Amino acid sequence: MQDYTTDHPFDISLSEEQQMTWDMLRKFAETELRPNARDAENAGKPSEELLQKIKALDLIPLIIPEAYGGLGLQQDSVSNALALEALAYGDMSLAMSVSVPLLVAQIIAEHASEEQKAEFLPEFVNGSMFHIGLGINNATFSTDPYQSSVLAEESGEDIILNGSKMGIAFGEHAKTYLISASDESGACDLYFVSKDQKGVELSKTEYMGLKGMPFSKINLSNCKINASQKLGGHNYSIDFKSLVDSSRIGMSALALGVCQAVLDYVVPYTNERVAFDEPISNRQSVAFMIADMAIETEALRLMVYKSAALKDLNVDFHKQASLTHRFASHHGMKIGTDGVQLLGGHGFTHEHPVELWYRNLRAVGIFEAGAGV
Amino acid sequence: MIHPLLPDQLQKTQETMRMAAEFILRPISRKYDKAEHEPPIEMEQLNQAAAAQKKETGVGEDSVKSMDLTGRNLWAVISLEQMCWGDVGLFLARPGTGLGNAAIMAVGNKDQKAKWGKRWAAMAITEPAAGSDSKNISTTAVLDGDEWVIDGEKIYVTDGDRSDCVVVWATLNKSMGKTAIRSFLVEKGTPGFTVARLEKKLGIRASDTATLIFDNCRIPRENLLGGKEEIETDIDAAKKSFGGAMQTFDNTRPMVAGMAIGLGQAALDMTRALLAEEGYEDKFGGSMHQQTAVQYELEMLEAELEAARLLVYKSAWMMDNKMPNSKEASMGKAKAGRIGNRISLKCVEICSMQGFSEEHLLEKFSRDSKILDIFEGTQQIQQLIVARQVLGKSSSDLK
Repeated sequence: MQDYTTDHPFDISLSEEQQMTWDMLRKFAETELRPNARDAENAGKPSEELLQKIKALDLIPLIIPEAYGGLGLQQDSVSNALALEALAYGDMSLAMSVSVPLLVAQIIAEHASEEQKAEFLPEFVNGSMFHIGLGINNATFSTDPYQSSVLAEESGEDIILNGSKMGIAFGEHAKTYLISASDESGACDLYFVSKDQKGVELSKTEYMGLKGMPFSKINLSNCKINASQKLGGHNYSIDFKSLVDSSRIGMSALALGVCQAVLDYVVPYTNERVAFDEPISNRQSVAFMIADMAIETEALRLMVYKSAALKDLNVDFHKQASLTHRFASHHGMKIGTDGVQLLGGHGFTHEHPVELWYRNLRAVGIFEAGAGV
Repeated sequence: MIHPLLPDQLQKTQETMRMAAEFILRPISRKYDKAEHEPPIEMEQLNQAAAAQKKETGVGEDSVKSMDLTGRNLWAVISLEQMCWGDVGLFLARPGTGLGNAAIMAVGNKDQKAKWGKRWAAMAITEPAAGSDSKNISTTAVLDGDEWVIDGEKIYVTDGDRSDCVVVWATLNKSMGKTAIRSFLVEKGTPGFTVARLEKKLGIRASDTATLIFDNCRIPRENLLGGKEEIETDIDAAKKSFGGAMQTFDNTRPMVAGMAIGLGQAALDMTRALLAEEGYEDKFGGSMHQQTAVQYELEMLEAELEAARLLVYKSAWMMDNKMPNSKEASMGKAKAGRIGNRISLKCVEICSMQGFSEEHLLEKFSRDSKILDIFEGTQQIQQLIVARQVLGKSSSDLK
C-alpha cells in the first residue's frame, strides 16, 4: 500500500539538532521578522539592516559547496521544512526573502554545470543574495503547473524563448534570471537569461499580499540565448515535476507557519475580548472555529512533515506533495479568513496583523517556487 | 527524528489485515447488512487472523514504545483501520472484545484485569435522558451489605446482547454530580439484568445495539471498577475520579477514528474502481484548469483523509509513548469522524445511480459512516474538548 520501505519507527519528535535550529529560527521570527513585517510591507521591501540580519543567519552558505565558499552541508527536507515553518511564523514575505534565494542556490548547487556553478554560486556567499531572479510562476492561468508559459525553441546552437513569467521575487535586484520554459516535446527546463539580453523586458508588479518584497514580471520576445545557458548544460534535463513538487512542500511549510501565527493570535484575543458580559471565546460559535483552526493546523503540520520525510527517502513523493499543497491552499485560506472574522471589524484594520496574514495566505496554492525543501 | 512514516513491520500488518478484510469481511458485508441482529458466525476467522498477525509483529500486551517499532496502540489503529476498510459493522461485531474491555484495562485493578480481561465486555453509559452529558446519568448503585444494587435503563449498548459482561456507569448519589459516578461490572445472567430490545439502525447493522434494564440487580462488592466506594469530598480528588473514567476515551477515540479512516479509504478505493470502468484516471497536482470536477474533488477528499489519518496515528503514537493525548485524540476523532462521513456521502454522489444502489457497497459505507461521527463522543463534543484545551478554559466557562 506504500511505495516506500523503512526500518525507522513512526516518530514525530524533533531531533536535538532540529530542535536547536527550530528554537533559533523561531526566536528570530518573533524578535526580528514579526515586528518588522508592517514596515517591510509599507516600504515594499525589507530594510537593509534587516536584510543583513537575515543574511547573517547563513542559511544559504550552509548548502553552497566548499569549493564555492560555502559550508557544503547537505540539509534534509524535513529540517528545511521546519526552518520555513519557523520563519514564516514571523512573516511570510520576509521568510520568502531568504527562502527564494535559498531555493535558487539549491537548484544551482544540485543541477548546474561546473561553469555555471563557478559563475553563480560564490556571489551567494560574498555578494547579494538576489543576483539571480527565479522565473517559474506562469503568467497564463491555463498552463499546466508542471509546464511553462514560456516556450523554448531550438535553432542550431541557439534557443529562442517567447512568453511571460510573473512573481519574480527581487527581480529588479537581479542581473540574471533562471526561467522555466517548455519545449516542443513537452519537456520543461530552466534557462539562465541575462538581464541585458535582447528581447528581455522587465516590469514591476504589485500583489494583494507578500508586499514585504518587490516582484517583477518578465516578458521574453524572441529572446535568443546560447544552448549552453540551459541549466546543467545543453544536454542536461532537470526533473521539473520534482522541483515543483518540492517547492509545493516548501510553500505549504510557509503556510503552516502563518496558520500557527493566526491561531496563536486569536486565542489570547478572543479570551480577552468581552461581549455580552463574557469573553467571546466562551461561546461555542467562536470556540469551535478556533478548535477547527487548531485541528487543521496540526493536520497540515503532519502533512508537511510526511511529504518532506518521503522526499528524504528518495521515493516518489508527487502524490503526497500534491495532497499537502492542496490541503495547505484550502485550509490555509480558511484559517486566514477565520482569523479576520474572529477579530470582527478590528481584524479588518491595520491595527492587527490578521488582515496581512489573510492577504499572504491567498498566495498559497497560487505562488509556485517560493521556497524549496 | 521526525518521521511520520510506517516502518516495514507495520506495513506488513496493514497488508495482512487488508487481505483478511477483503477475503473474510467483504464477501459477507451485504449479507449481515440485510440480516440485522443475526450474529455473524464467520467472524472467528478474523480474530484468528488478527491474533496471528499480532504474534508475528511481536506486539506485547503491555504498551511498548513506538520507538521499538511495535507500539501497541499504533499497531491496533493500523490493523483496525484495515479491518474497517472491509466492514465497520462486522468489525464491531467480532466476538471477544468490546469497549468495556478498554475500560477494564484502563481503570481495573490487577484482580479485575485477570478475571475479566479476556471476557467480552460491552460498555453501557448512555441513557434515554443522558447522552453526551454523561455526568447526568440516573442509573443508581447502592451498597447493601457486600453487594451493590444497580437500578436503571441503558441504551445504545454496542455488543449489549452478545457480550459476556457489561461495564455499567452508575451514580452513587445523583445530587453529587460527576463526583459520584462509578463504573461496575455486571455479568450476563445476573438476576435483575435483562436485554430489553435491539435497535434497528441506519448503518452498522451487523453490530448489535441493545437496551439493557437493571432492576434490583445485585452484584458483588468487588465489581466496582476503579474509584472508591465513598464519594470524595475533596474537589480535586473528585475531579480526578471522574477524569479517570473519562480517560478511557483518550484510549478508545484513536481507535474509533481509525475506523472512520478505514471506511473513508474503502469508499475512495471503490469509487476509483467504478470510475476506472468508464476510463477515469487521477490527476494529482494538476491545477483546477486541468482537472475535471471529479479529479479535483477526489484529490481534496484524499488530502483530507490523509490529514485525518496522520492526526490519528499521532494520537496513538503519543499513547504508546506515555504522553497525555486527550487533545490529540479528540482532534483525530473530530477530523476523522466528519471526513469519513463526508467522503462516503460524496462518493455516493460521484457514482450517481450506481453509488445510490445496493448493487455496490458505497451506499452502505455512507450509512455506516454516520455513527462514527457520533459515538465515542460526537463531533461537537470533540470540538468542545479541543477548544477548552486550546483556549485554556474549564467546562463551566465554555459550556
